[in-house]
Amino acid sequence: MVEMFAAENGLKGDPRLQAISNAIRVVPHFPKQGIMFQDITTLLLDHKAFKHTVDIFVDRYKDMDISVVAGVEARGFMFGPSIALAIGAKFVPLRKPKKLPGEVIAEAYELEYGRDCLEMHVGAVEAGERAIVIDDLVATGGTLSAAIRLLERVGAQVVECGCVIGLREVKGQLRLNGKPLYILVEPREIDGC
Amino acid sequence: MQRALIFSSSNPIYSQLSTTIAPPDSAVFPKRDGGWIGPFSSNQPPVFRLRNYKRTLLPPLCSASDSVANQPTMASQDEQDPRISKISSAIRVIPNFPKPGIMFQDITTLLLDTKAFRDTIDLFVERYRGKDISVVAGIEARGFIFGPPIALAIGAKFVPMRKPNKLPGEVISEEYSLEYGTDKMEMHVGAVQAGERALVIDDLIATGGTLCAAIRLLERVGVHVVECACVIELPELKGRDRLGDKPLFVLVSST
Repeated sequence: MVEMFAAENGLKGDPRLQAISNAIRVVPHFPKQGIMFQDITTLLLDHKAFKHTVDIFVDRYKDMDISVVAGVEARGFMFGPSIALAIGAKFVPLRKPKKLPGEVIAEAYELEYGRDCLEMHVGAVEAGERAIVIDDLVATGGTLSAAIRLLERVGAQVVECGCVIGLREVKGQLRLNGKPLYILVEPREIDGC
Repeated sequence: MQRALIFSSSNPIYSQLSTTIAPPDSAVFPKRDGGWIGPFSSNQPPVFRLRNYKRTLLPPLCSASDSVANQPTMASQDEQDPRISKISSAIRVIPNFPKPGIMFQDITTLLLDTKAFRDTIDLFVERYRGKDISVVAGIEARGFIFGPPIALAIGAKFVPMRKPNKLPGEVISEEYSLEYGTDKMEMHVGAVQAGERALVIDDLIATGGTLCAAIRLLERVGVHVVECACVIELPELKGRDRLGDKPLFVLVSST
């Protein structure tokens, strides 16, 4: 069992999780018909709920000897650095192609239609470092899987992936290379639907 | 209208490093064998003109009731905060990126230096805490790295200012000029309210085009942009002038 939901792993009944969930906005049919987009920008507008989000991850990871927080562009950048700062870890941005200057390594991954690529700076992470990967949401796990591969290629140990939102139903189909996944909340549904 | 001064001393002191200085020894990337990869440089080492930074002097930020005459002065106003030099040397310069002739200021190495990154955020937080700022707007994508920690520490909302078609739902957009052509920046409708006081954050100011677009977006919905804050300024590109009467605060000034 790879997924761990916060409510079932030590935070049962924690009112912060409800506050976080309530602060997330659902935008139907974005970026295309049929997709109920989980918009975390409203969470960022709610200072208390945003702080709870970071605090929960910080409390979890601060004693795990983590020296690297890798954040996936762009929404992973909104959560990762605050976690990194609080636990005393480096922040490593994982970016779309051609954004990082200097020498990079790249990892391709599958999209629903086509492929994309994630890049990391050579030398940012050392062999043996313990790392977490942070993103706002996990769907198929394709992006997180590419992130894990990048870190493992340079000899880092990926301890866990942390996401604010994650689907429950894709258990077993999630591509995470066997790594644990810690999720705060499930996707919201539209009120009244 | 007189522009509010960031550094209220009438004699700002620039400590200018000699152009013959070697690239800083301080760590950029550790190598696996225990050595260090130094910052990239070609024939011309980076020269950092370290702008005077007043650690505790915080001139009132543009609120209607402030007057220049009320700005406090401190005995230490001409000292540079000791944290600045470590921040400056943690930034890596990559020559000829994204194209020949451009010396790219790479802040990713700053993010790898836990103390320097912490100090960077602290310097901004110390300046803006308690100033009734309710909005920190960060410009995609590197503004997303610095903005949220500042917002969290000062109790403000974080508002991402994004490239087109990234934000779901209703947005307002502002076009701005690039060297060749134009680009667009978007902000969510309803993210901010008229009358709120805001900062705009990015890693670096060059020409100021992106920052100006962000300011316009916020002002269009009635927000008061109190100040723009960047880690790095490239003064030769005159971004500060382009901001006009909007104050600009930077930690490192690089030529």
